[in-house]
Amino acid sequence: MTDTLGPPPAAQAEATADDVDTYEGTGGGPRPTQAQRIVTPRDAVLPIVLVLTLVALYTWVQGQTLDNISVNILDTGAIISATVEHIYIAFTIAVLVVLIAVPMGVLVTRDRTKFLAPIVLGIANFGQAAPSLGLLALVGIYYTGFWAVVLILTGYALLSVLRNTIAGLQQVDKGVLDAAKGMGMSPVAVLLRVELPLAVPIIGAGARTALILAVATVPLGAFLNAGGLGQQLIASIKTDRAAATLAIAVIIAVLALFLDWLASILQRAATPRGVR
Amino acid sequence: MTGLPFGEWLSQNQLEIIFRVQQHFLLSIYCVGLAAAVGLTIALLTYRYVTIPNISIAVIAILFTIPSVAMFGFVFSLTGNALLTLIPVVVMYGLLPITRNAIVGLQAADPAVIDAAKGMGVGSLRMLWQIRFPIAWPVILAGLRVSTQLTIGILAIAAYVTDFGLGIFGFNALNNLGSVNTGNQALACVLFVAAVALFFDAVFVLVRRFTTPRGVRV
Repeated sequence: MTDTLGPPPAAQAEATADDVDTYEGTGGGPRPTQAQRIVTPRDAVLPIVLVLTLVALYTWVQGQTLDNISVNILDTGAIISATVEHIYIAFTIAVLVVLIAVPMGVLVTRDRTKFLAPIVLGIANFGQAAPSLGLLALVGIYYTGFWAVVLILTGYALLSVLRNTIAGLQQVDKGVLDAAKGMGMSPVAVLLRVELPLAVPIIGAGARTALILAVATVPLGAFLNAGGLGQQLIASIKTDRAAATLAIAVIIAVLALFLDWLASILQRAATPRGVR
Repeated sequence: MTGLPFGEWLSQNQLEIIFRVQQHFLLSIYCVGLAAAVGLTIALLTYRYVTIPNISIAVIAILFTIPSVAMFGFVFSLTGNALLTLIPVVVMYGLLPITRNAIVGLQAADPAVIDAAKGMGVGSLRMLWQIRFPIAWPVILAGLRVSTQLTIGILAIAAYVTDFGLGIFGFNALNNLGSVNTGNQALACVLFVAAVALFFDAVFVLVRRFTTPRGVRV
């Protein structure tokens, strides 16, 4: 019965005095659900739908009469290796982004370095206003290949994760921090055991959006010879083959949804039970 | 790679640049306006339920994850018309932040506040207009702002299949990497798209300052 959508009415009525106390400020109203398990049966739905979509796509493509160009674009071996490249690019970006953005966000929210926050946010805002397309073109003049694309898209995705990390850390209740200090926790312990866990939902939301945007921009990386499914996509759009375009677009979308699904489970695993 | 200096290139292509900035600017207004109309309608129709908002957000999120280049290519091969491709697709991508924030915002009102209003005899329409909407407004505005930024970026990518907006410079550069004026074109794409985006951002900052009810201001 524990679903993520909302508490069943019975659970609301059963809110004990203890519960109300831990969720101060709601006037004793309904509280967010606490999903106890990390993976629920509901999580199986999306992968099943995705697999069914791919099967349907495969059958549909088999039924089409394709010319040589489309057949070349849709060559199974090439698509599989391009898919692996695509995942590899997206994964590298995601890991780099989290590794860079979270420490940076922590740094600019410390008391001693607080003055940096507006500067960093200003840069982040400007960077996000610049189009990824133009940045790719600008860097592509001098550098091409895997790392050029990874670094541009990392820098780009970094901004939204950084912004969310700062927002997530700033929204942590000051009373909670005082309580942690009062219990004798060192600043590092407060950060690792109180602040970051409480900020995980917001940081995670930013990271997932960044991942989606990165995965969606990876196809443009094919212009800079970074590999991935973008090659097939650009080839099919340029040669105006609608069936091939559809097939590649669906594969890229399925990939993006799968990565997002994976990220959502990771996010839940990282969220402390009380905040879930 | 010895093209014109950037300033000279700008003055030589002045007319085209001004034209494309205007185009980008107006198209983003139209698309965000449409996305706001659709997104707010969805939010208003569904915020009272528990499951339906989640389903509609999930559907929009699924559409959102489809890479825009792929979407443009596919829709263009179906419609064959630049505007009929550009507007629906761009609106579709702008929809997610608006709808999600509007639903979250409308549902965010403290149950105690709602109870208090009910106790004072506030009816359902007034509840929406005078209580839920003002509380949700900063969140909705934030959604509109994100959506505008997204729209401006995706409009640039729309230039891959259409002839509209500033993205043309970017794709010209990507298609001719290494030729003489590539750098100028890429730089123009980055700078002018960023300028349009920052302009809208500034507008949103002002709007938020002047329209947020005092009690809800953060």
